[in-house]
Parts: sequence; C-alpha cells; structure tokens
Amino acid sequence: MKSFRKLVYPYIVWAVIMIIVPMVMILLYAFTKEGNSVRNFIFSLDSFRRFFSDKVFLGVLERSLVIAVLTTFFCVILGYPAAYAMVRSRFKIQWVLLTTIPTWINMLVRTYAWRGIMDNKGLINAFFGLFGLGPFKMLETNFAVVLGMVYNFIPFMILQIYNSLEKLDKSYLEAAADLGANRVQAFLRVTLPLSAPGVISGITLVFLPAVSSFFIPKLLGGGQYVLIGNVIENQFLTAGDWSFGSAISLIMAVVIIISMYITRYIDKKVSPEGGNG
Amino acid sequence: MKKFLSLVLAAAMAMGMCACSQQNEGGTAPAQDTPAESSADAVEKYGSDTLKLYNWGEYIGEDVIQNFEQEFGVNVISEYFDSNEMMYTKLLAGDSYDVLVPSDYMIERLIKEDRLSELDMSLIPNMENVADSLKTREFDPDNKYSVPYFWGNVGLVYDKNVVPKEEIEEKGYEILRDTKYKGNIYIYDSERDAFMTAFKALGYSMNTENEDEINEAFEWLKSINDTMEPAYVTDEVIDAMANGNKAIAVVYSGDAAYILNENEDMGFCLPKEGTNLWSDAMVIPKNAENPKLAHEFINYILTYDASYDNSITVGYASSNKDVLADLSAQDGEFFGNEAYLPREDYEKDEIFHDNEVLKKKLSDLWIKVKAAN
Repeated sequence: MKSFRKLVYPYIVWAVIMIIVPMVMILLYAFTKEGNSVRNFIFSLDSFRRFFSDKVFLGVLERSLVIAVLTTFFCVILGYPAAYAMVRSRFKIQWVLLTTIPTWINMLVRTYAWRGIMDNKGLINAFFGLFGLGPFKMLETNFAVVLGMVYNFIPFMILQIYNSLEKLDKSYLEAAADLGANRVQAFLRVTLPLSAPGVISGITLVFLPAVSSFFIPKLLGGGQYVLIGNVIENQFLTAGDWSFGSAISLIMAVVIIISMYITRYIDKKVSPEGGNG
Repeated sequence: MKKFLSLVLAAAMAMGMCACSQQNEGGTAPAQDTPAESSADAVEKYGSDTLKLYNWGEYIGEDVIQNFEQEFGVNVISEYFDSNEMMYTKLLAGDSYDVLVPSDYMIERLIKEDRLSELDMSLIPNMENVADSLKTREFDPDNKYSVPYFWGNVGLVYDKNVVPKEEIEEKGYEILRDTKYKGNIYIYDSERDAFMTAFKALGYSMNTENEDEINEAFEWLKSINDTMEPAYVTDEVIDAMANGNKAIAVVYSGDAAYILNENEDMGFCLPKEGTNLWSDAMVIPKNAENPKLAHEFINYILTYDASYDNSITVGYASSNKDVLADLSAQDGEFFGNEAYLPREDYEKDEIFHDNEVLKKKLSDLWIKVKAAN
C-alpha cells in the first residue's frame, strides 16, 4: 500500500499551484495597499476598515446572505420531496438523468434563457396575456434572482439527498413498522434522521455557490440586486482595486468557513452516524 | 430500458458537441480550412501563422476572421472582453495578444504606460481609407499607435409609441428622472457611461475632477435609482430593446443602429446636453508575439470588404469612409437610421480622458448607487 502513496504527488503539486498559491496571493493583496503589485508590500488594514465602516457594503453582505439562505431553504423544501419520490420511482435512473442533464448545458446560457421566459413580453406573460391578465413584472425582482438560483443549484441538492436515501436500508423501515410505527412516524424517526447527512451536504453545496454567485443576480436582477459577488467582480474587473477585492474575498471566505462549521455541528447533532455525508 | 438510456445519452452528447463546435467558430477555425503550404508560407513570411486577437464581444463581421484566415493561410485565436478594464487587467497580468481593440481613454493610458508598440504605417497602406476626422483624435494625434476600428456616441433609444419624440428631445437625459417612465428604463451598467449621462445632464464636463460636481452627479444617479426602478444592463440591452421590453434605454450608437433596424418602433435621440464621442481603435501591445501578422490584420480590417462586413453585422459606424458613406446612402443597410452616423462637431460632445483617480472614485460611487436599495 505504501508504494501507492507516491501517486498522490501530482495532486499535491496541483493543489499547491491551483489552491494554495492563489490563497496566499489573496491574503497578501488583502493586507496591502497602494496599487496592484504585491512586490512593494505595505501592511495595511485599510481595505477591511473600508468594508466594515461602510453601511453600503455591509448591506450588500447582508442581502447576499439573505438571498443565499432563501435559495438554500427552497432547494431543501423542493428538493427533498423530489429526491424521495425519485428513490421510490420505478424509473430511478431516468429521473437522475433528467435531473443532471440540464447541468450539462452551460449555466450562463440557461440563466439567460430565463430572461426570455420572465420578460414583460416573455413566455409567461404571453400566456397570461391570453386571458387578459398581466403583464406581471417578474424580471428584475427578488423573485427572479431566487428563482434563478434555485433553478441552477437544486440538482446538487436533489442528488445529495437522493444518494443518502438510496443507501437507506429498507429493513429499518420494516423494523419500524413491526414495532408499530405508522408511515409518518417511520419517516420522521427513521428516514429523515438517516438522510440528514445528505441534506447537510446538499445545503453546503447550494449555500456556498449561492452566497458568492454574481452573474445570476446580474442577469435576472437587472443589476439592481448587487450582491457581494458583484462587488468582488467589480473590484477586480472594473475598479481595478485588487486589494479591496481580495479583502472582500477573504471576508467571504471567513463567512463561509463559519457557516460550514455550523452545518457540521448541526450534522453531528442530528445524524445518528455522526455525519459522514 | 437500457436502449432508452443510451438514446438519451447520445442525444445529450450530440447537443454537447453542437455547443462545442459553435464555440469554435468564434475562436480557432478548424485546421482543414487552411491549406498546409500556405500555412508554411505564413510562417516564413510572418514568423508564425497564429494571430491572437483580443476584441469586444460581438464586434466583428460574420466572415471576417474566416476570410482573413483563408487569404493569408493563418489561424486567428479570438478572445473577447466586455470592458476596457477587463482587457487592461488581463494585459497587466501578462497575457500576450497581437491585436487589441480598446477605446480612446484606454489607449491614452496604454500609451502613457508605454505598453503599445509604434505602428509601421508602411505595412498599413489601407490607412488612406480612414476618414480624416478620425485620424487626429486627441488620445493619439499622429496615429502612431492606433488605427480606428469603430466610432460613435452614446444616446437614448426610445419606444416611439410610448415616448413622444418632441418630449425626449426637449428633456434630454432628464427624461430618465421622469417618474412617468418608472420601471421602464435601462441604464448602462458602467460607471463611465452612467456618470457621463449625469455630468452632461447637469451641464458639467464628463472629465471633471471637481468634488462638488461629482457629488451632484452621484446624487443625480441615486435619485434615478431610488425613484425610477431602473434596470442596469450592458449588452443585454440590445435584445431587450429590440424586443421592445422597456420605453427608454441608454445605448451605444452602434447597438442603437442595430436595434432600430430590428424594431421599427424604436427611435434614437442624441441629447442636446451633449454626449460621449468615442472611438475604438486597433493597437499592438509591446508584448505581441507576432507584430508582423498583426499589421497585416489591421490593414485587412481597413479593406472595404472587411469593414463593410464588420459594420453591417454589428451596426457601429465604420472607420472606412467609403463603407460609412455607402451604408448610410439611399440604398444602404442603414439608410434613414438615426443612430448609424455619429454626431460630430457638436460643441457639448466630449471625448473621455484617462484619469485613474477619477475613475476609481466613480467606480466606488457607482457601486454605491446600485447597492443602496
């Protein structure tokens, strides 16, 4: 076995170049000031001070978290029953396929398509127009942003929950029935706790991209819903202030680490196996 | 069931492949298009048969790249940017390109920072096709570094069924604050263009450094944000206005020309308060790997055919004077199109200048305008 260990070296090289070096760069940039060169590194907390002393940026952070939480919430609410039904369906594999196929098409293209669907003159409003209703303003609202996010991220949730439900040993349910539990009780006391790891890892997979997404709010929110990802993008691509952009990225990284810690903590509490999802 | 599965898989894969090959069109053309010997010729003549072009998205004629590749036996690798700043960032990061197409103020900066190589005009004889007024722009008065590509203004596209022509011409940019059109306007999402409209609406220069004027412009934009429910868009505005989604939009003249051709309900107004007179030009950065071929490409773009294809596809005003005249003439594609021919020699129109400090300030303020709801 020991000789196989060398096989991990390519990955270590990869990880250093692709993960560790950029992280160090972000760290350096976040704590420097004056221009976009780290060669003349001047230690400074200016970027952080600027972020935390400005109500606008804090408001953006709050809005990002709210939208990410909403997105995750709807993904669980919609994803769990879907996964549950899929596991019990005769056409399991087909359902899994149908869930994954959309993710094969570029996310940007799919999100762009929603613009056409939700437009004032788009598909949905054309339909309502047949009955003399509307047009309802959907694009450029919170609704559109959350819908776009849920649509894009829900496959990750469904698949995670599906996997954990799939692994569930049916004999537990039979045992529960033998002991007199009805179906609701069996679900609440057996299925739900045993699938918790799947839900938790689904939450992680949805929450993280949702909190930092920038093109979905840009496309569907009409640019009005500035989220933290948009601010970071703006700092790097338009404002050219890499220090501030890095500082915000770092703040986001900390927020994400904290939220991961919280989910892991909940995971340990909830799941009987101690959480290996 | 297995059969069904493999069918679905095959279909999906085919779809994926379509997507790939479509992507290819814009980028590297398939190698079989270029005869092998001419590719070798190209290597001999230019030192390499690959040109790296870094251009705006959707900013080139349908067949221009392909024709160039076939005529000269070379490959063109195209990359696209959607803002000058994005291009600048990539260039700064050390990426090497042979031809860039930045805007005036960005060229000014690149010259200042000594990032462009001087052009050898003996290799660009087609320069004579360029209109004289474009040759002497302030950012590069002697055309030592740049060759004009497209040029134009920024103005207001409006739905003639909703907004009377007299009203928009009377009010100019102030119409963007008229609550009659609440929820019915598109603002161009870049600090440069947004603040340009604000400065012009208030009667200031768009190159101002005066703090009070900047603050006033900030308040002006904020009042739009707070009262008008504007949508901030960039290139999405083209499709959106061609579909007639909203009543008024701040649009670049070339995109406006395209919109007006697509949707006859749309009109174009260059506000009386003045606007931005911009031009985009081709330059060769110092770190270009293949400057010889880059000259050849620049010269090729200035030919009548390439310029014509570019202008008719994209809608922007050509730097080639014959193309410009022909397209706006009686039987030209853009005859009667209010947006195609840019406004020149209007005293309130200005050219943007490079100003790092101002730009940073505006960029900071712009995100605050948008984020504050």
